[in-house]
Amino acid sequence: MQNDNFLIQQLKDKDERALSLLYDKYAGAIYSVIIKMVRDEGKAQNLLQDTFMTVWDKAESYDASKGRFYTWVFRIARNKTLNFLRKVEPLIQTDDFSVHDSKEEAISIDAKYLELNGAITTLEEHHKKAIELVYFKGLTHKEAHQQMDVPLGTFKSYVRQALKQLRKAYTKTLSVLLLILNAL
Amino acid sequence: MDKKTILDNGLLEQYLLGELNAQECEQIEQVLASDTELKAQFDAIEKDFETLGLENAIEPPKGIKYQLIQDIREAKDTKNNKNNTNLKYYLGIAAAIAALLMLGNFWMYNELNVVKDQLQTVETEKTELNDKLNNLNKQIDEEIALFSTIAHPDTEQYVLKGNTLMPDGKVVSYVNHSTKSVVINTERLPKLDAEHDYQMWADVEGEMINMGVIAKDQNLMAMNYIDHAESLNITIEPAGGNDHPTVSQLVSNVYLN
Repeated sequence: MQNDNFLIQQLKDKDERALSLLYDKYAGAIYSVIIKMVRDEGKAQNLLQDTFMTVWDKAESYDASKGRFYTWVFRIARNKTLNFLRKVEPLIQTDDFSVHDSKEEAISIDAKYLELNGAITTLEEHHKKAIELVYFKGLTHKEAHQQMDVPLGTFKSYVRQALKQLRKAYTKTLSVLLLILNAL
Repeated sequence: MDKKTILDNGLLEQYLLGELNAQECEQIEQVLASDTELKAQFDAIEKDFETLGLENAIEPPKGIKYQLIQDIREAKDTKNNKNNTNLKYYLGIAAAIAALLMLGNFWMYNELNVVKDQLQTVETEKTELNDKLNNLNKQIDEEIALFSTIAHPDTEQYVLKGNTLMPDGKVVSYVNHSTKSVVINTERLPKLDAEHDYQMWADVEGEMINMGVIAKDQNLMAMNYIDHAESLNITIEPAGGNDHPTVSQLVSNVYLN
């Protein structure tokens, strides 16, 4: 996106306005990923802020030839959240098992934050699950295939299939948009 | 790592999601940089994931962005302040070093003066020592001269024994007519008070000729040699000597051969 490239260059030049605009564009998507991983609004908000602080500080190291800006921010957010969870979870587990037992209840969060929207909802359940685990829950492929109790190879093909389905859906949306535009 | 391995193992997806380690990332990036078809495939997956993310976006509370911008501004200010503090810090160090240098200079200046004084003292002492040495040399030369006179084969020894005025005293004189010198040993002369000196005279055809005042602080000394002396005489005279001998104060005499 030409627009993005310009903003990113300004971001590298420490332009607050560029950060503000890029935040407006991507913070929602990133927040959604973080909150689904930590299942806690307050912590998710801290991690979101922390993520964009790093985006601001390390903007210089973003290399557009290696991938999209969103992917870069996504990786920062995912790493920060996983590091945070790694720090917190052993405490919960070793200090008091009762806390661990009631973990799911303890972290009460509005279900709307965990819901998935858009094209992914049209996928078959196992495809949807595969994407959800690696993209929204921060699991690695190895962790995710165990959780789904299928071989790693099978899991990988789930991801590939799911992406193919999503691509189809997105292209269709695009075609519809183009049709409407043409009609106008 | 080749394209097939990457595709068969779903590595593009894992790379995108950030699951791979640094070494694996580098390998994938190398292949992506050289394979445009694979890169196009990766771009498509990236776009899909991004669309997926945007479709599921949850708007975060407005306060977070506000807080983020505030934090960035504060961090900037802190950084600037830090620079100022650093500058102050370095200036402080520079001032301290300058002060130390000045103190050092002052101290060295003082030391220099002390050393100068010491050098002055040493030089004075050296001059004194040189003088002493010269005196000693002179003294040695004189004594060597005296002894050479005494030891000379032509030297004759005359003992001036004290008369009734000086019963315990005596002076030994060494007379050499060939070198025309007279040396006396005054070890046995009784001490005189400060107002008087012994004076030596030569008798030449009835006339007493002054040979010199005998020094109180020397045991061995040279006197003036007088030609044709018939006898040597010693009188007690007022301190510093007399033009003519006080005959009543004659304490000793000896005739020469």
